[in-house]
Amino acid sequence: MQPAPTQLSVRNVRKSFAGKTGEVRVLDDLSFVIKERDFVSIIGPSGCGKTTIFNIIAGLLEPDSGSLHYRGEEIESLRGRVGYMMQKDLLFPWRTVLGNVLLGLETRGVDRVEAEGKAREYLKDFGLAGFENAYPKTLSGGMRQRVALIRTLIMDPDILLLDEPFSALDYQTRLYLEGVLKDAVETYHKTVILVTHDIDEAVALSKRVVVLSGRPARVKIVHDIEIDTPSPIAARSDARFSGYFHALCAELDIQTEKTA
Amino acid sequence: MPGAAPLAKRKARRRRSFNFDTPLRRAMLQALAVLLFFALWEIGVRMGWISAFLVGSPAGIFSFAAKMIASGELLSDTWYTLFEAILGFVIGTIFGSLLGLALWYSVFVARLVEPFIVAINSVPKIALAPIVVLWFGTGLVSKVALSVSLTAIVALIAAYQAAKDADVDLQSLLISMGADKHQVFFKAVVPSTLPSIIATFRINIGFGLVGAVVGEFISSQRGLGHLIYTASSLYDLDTVWVGLFTLMITGFVLYYVIDIIERTLLPWKQSNTAHQVQV
Repeated sequence: MQPAPTQLSVRNVRKSFAGKTGEVRVLDDLSFVIKERDFVSIIGPSGCGKTTIFNIIAGLLEPDSGSLHYRGEEIESLRGRVGYMMQKDLLFPWRTVLGNVLLGLETRGVDRVEAEGKAREYLKDFGLAGFENAYPKTLSGGMRQRVALIRTLIMDPDILLLDEPFSALDYQTRLYLEGVLKDAVETYHKTVILVTHDIDEAVALSKRVVVLSGRPARVKIVHDIEIDTPSPIAARSDARFSGYFHALCAELDIQTEKTA
Repeated sequence: MPGAAPLAKRKARRRRSFNFDTPLRRAMLQALAVLLFFALWEIGVRMGWISAFLVGSPAGIFSFAAKMIASGELLSDTWYTLFEAILGFVIGTIFGSLLGLALWYSVFVARLVEPFIVAINSVPKIALAPIVVLWFGTGLVSKVALSVSLTAIVALIAAYQAAKDADVDLQSLLISMGADKHQVFFKAVVPSTLPSIIATFRINIGFGLVGAVVGEFISSQRGLGHLIYTASSLYDLDTVWVGLFTLMITGFVLYYVIDIIERTLLPWKQSNTAHQVQV
């Protein structure tokens, strides 16, 4: 198998924020590469600037320096072309499930009838048929996050940016949604960047894991995960799983933190 | 288990106690309170404990009310005041809300005008009443203008504050989807301010009535304010009470009309699961 070509490269990105005690450097000369149809997890200590990277890629923040390159061309950002999913489901409470799924297509100005047909199809595929007219507050956390996932996928984004999307859910729901995500990524041929605190989740889902250092964030190491199982649950029982898990724990200095 | 017995006893006692908190029983208790109030009042007046000249009497109030209803005078005064109040409320709320929302568009303009808004808000608008009558005459317009001045500023501040507080993450999400500023405004900001704006309806419908009545006090030929003012200058307390109670009922009805409007406009806010925590 020949190596996949590069889809997105982040080059020498720096970003500082004005803090109470002067400038806080969050990203320091950060570079990494995302390949076509990649599934990359980014892990790192809390507050190391993982969300800042996403905000720069999504065009919500401008880097102080550095550049983004998409399929060889330099770009400002991927605004309008990414599917951004956060820990909070960010469903609009005044919109029904259907209305929430339609949000992105509406901003794009897609024909209403066409958009609605597509939305209903997606809802059916994800087991949410019959909930089209329900308001988000009546749904469970797992269902809400599934709606958020559909809202993201229906836009047919170039890259999915998932910022700890499952961390607010209970473990069983999380396992279930990891499976839903993995299937969806296969079905729709998506590239995914996943920010997570959960090493276990990173190993079970990803093809590669980028480990960041503490603030200011730099890439410490990139691990290839060579587990090829159909589901995240099966991945957890793979013989190599615990090896990757412990290697990543060591990279994050979890041992030393414990003894400190 | 040592704690089990007292707990069981407490439960049993709670089950035996009579439950007053049903809609019908609540209504009966409320009606009883009103009846008791009027009965004590009437008895007080008849026994000479309180002066009928200064406080009027329920019997007098009812007979005057009956007469004024029969002549159609009360209804026409009520309609007139209600019309002024609602017109002022609608114009003031729409104008104020739109202005408050528009301030979201420019942080610069918003910061620029903020002290002026605070300044205008800190003037007791009732103090404007004499000027308003000078400017707009003694007819309908001056009352509506006064109501607008009272309601617009409340709506403006509420709408502006709510727009400022609109969830930034929802806006970011839209921007990441490629939405422009107008789309963010109409899809995220405006809907999220609706609950606050509708909450001001409750306050503002009252202010609408205040504006109408105060305007009528200053100078008028009709309306409940006119009725109260002229009657009180003649020491006709029973008629004053008729006007006051009519205003109270009007405000009461309006409050529940707002309630229905809120339910209709905010279906997503309604829930059948929210119960108060039992303490």
